[in-house]
Amino acid sequence: MGVIQFKGVNKIFGPRETGFQALQDINMEIRDKEFVAIVGPSGCGKTTCLRMVAGFEPATDGVVTVDGTPIKRPGPDRAVVFQQFALFPWKSVYDNIDMGLRNLNVSRSERESRIADILNLMNLTQYAKHFPHQLSGGMQQRVAIARAYVLDPDVLLMDEPFGALDAQTRVVMQEELVRLARKNPRTVLFITHAVEEAVYLADRVAIMTRAPGRIKEVLDIASIRNAEDWDSHEKIEDVMDLESFVHLRTHIWRSLREEKAAQHA
Amino acid sequence: MPRRVSIGLITILVVCVIWYAVTTGLGLIPSGRFPSPAETWSAFIHVSGRGYGGGDLTLHVYNSLRLVVLGFLFAIATGVPLGLLMGWSRTAEALINPIFLIIRPIPPLAWIPLAILWLGLGDAAKMMVIWFSAFVPSVINTYAGVRNIDRPVIEAAYMLGMPKTRFVGEVLIPGASPMIFTGLRLSLQASWTTLVAAELVGAFYGIGRVLNVAQQDLYPGMILVGMIAVAILGWGTTRLLGVAEAYALRWNTAALAAKG
Repeated sequence: MGVIQFKGVNKIFGPRETGFQALQDINMEIRDKEFVAIVGPSGCGKTTCLRMVAGFEPATDGVVTVDGTPIKRPGPDRAVVFQQFALFPWKSVYDNIDMGLRNLNVSRSERESRIADILNLMNLTQYAKHFPHQLSGGMQQRVAIARAYVLDPDVLLMDEPFGALDAQTRVVMQEELVRLARKNPRTVLFITHAVEEAVYLADRVAIMTRAPGRIKEVLDIASIRNAEDWDSHEKIEDVMDLESFVHLRTHIWRSLREEKAAQHA
Repeated sequence: MPRRVSIGLITILVVCVIWYAVTTGLGLIPSGRFPSPAETWSAFIHVSGRGYGGGDLTLHVYNSLRLVVLGFLFAIATGVPLGLLMGWSRTAEALINPIFLIIRPIPPLAWIPLAILWLGLGDAAKMMVIWFSAFVPSVINTYAGVRNIDRPVIEAAYMLGMPKTRFVGEVLIPGASPMIFTGLRLSLQASWTTLVAAELVGAFYGIGRVLNVAQQDLYPGMILVGMIAVAILGWGTTRLLGVAEAYALRWNTAALAAKG
């Protein structure tokens, strides 16, 4: 299971009266095995939402729960993929992926077979002995995704995972993530500022307002995706050409544009 | 032979030729000021054979090297853990840092009189002074190394459920290790400097003792032998440390090579 709930969440950095209010009254439920993307203008607190689920930040008011249990600290049941990869540079690709399984005291033989599977799935087998710095950014992020997926977590938290990649690599990674998510669905909370990415990947897209961040609207993408049969198109550019896709994208763009305009007003 | 090494050897050879030329060859520098190669060689034979300043060269080298290695190891065995603690815990930093701010400006050599007063002219006093001089750079650099670890890497370790016991060995120490090795190199240099100074002030054996006696005997050849001995030992120990560093940081040298 992996149901994430935000209930009346406020987040204030610093003292309550004088501090910076990043989030205001966030209420949202992410269902089991659902892929939800949060988009919003920069500084709107979308990453803070993810960091609260991860257990890196406490909520000032309200509560964030996974399967009804309030989150207290980080843990391998909520695997995080960071924007800057955050691999251990002193460990090989294999040892990076192995780390979480060792901490969970998984037996050696099971670790070996699970790592072999994920390396194969992510096309990393030949790089198992490499150190992270010997790999390109795209490959490093692949390792970071493998490190998270190998734990078979209830919840996968991705914080602008493709933000540091070049455009071509980004597209490849997006297609791979869709492939992975269809094959082995997880509850995913995905933070991005790229609108197309959100529409392409997510079942639902939550749009946030500028700071203090609130949930402005939540769009149901999955029903449109299924109705229009997006998955019959293999390539991302084919999906992006569909009228239903363009319509959703434009809607989100307008909504974000309003926030930007208000920010500068 | 690699190009760099052959050029280095040529340079040394040229320096030796010039040395010979200005002393023996042209007589520009009188031997009372600076020894000729022949005088230096005979001083070397003197100290290796009959011995000088209370023992032969092997004994002096052995004593100096032993003190440096022990003092250095003792300093890093205490300094690195303290640096890790200060880097990791704000409380430890707040408690210990003020002491450092007071002690740091005192040159390590200024501790020599006190060390001799407390512990006499034997090994213990020298170990204490070496420890003092080598301790500070290893603490400071380890501390900075811990502070320089990328925050997301630490968060990744938490996220992966890493227990505290493993965290120190697998994240904190390797993460800080590039800076730790910088500290160790500075500590090693400081160890040699301090040792020679401490032996000059007072010792029964050691290279500093040779230098001190040779100075009193107006024996320039022997002074140069002592200086060359320190240079070779310093170079050799630094080299050994470099090998250890290259091995421990091979993930990092890969990074440097990749960046070109």
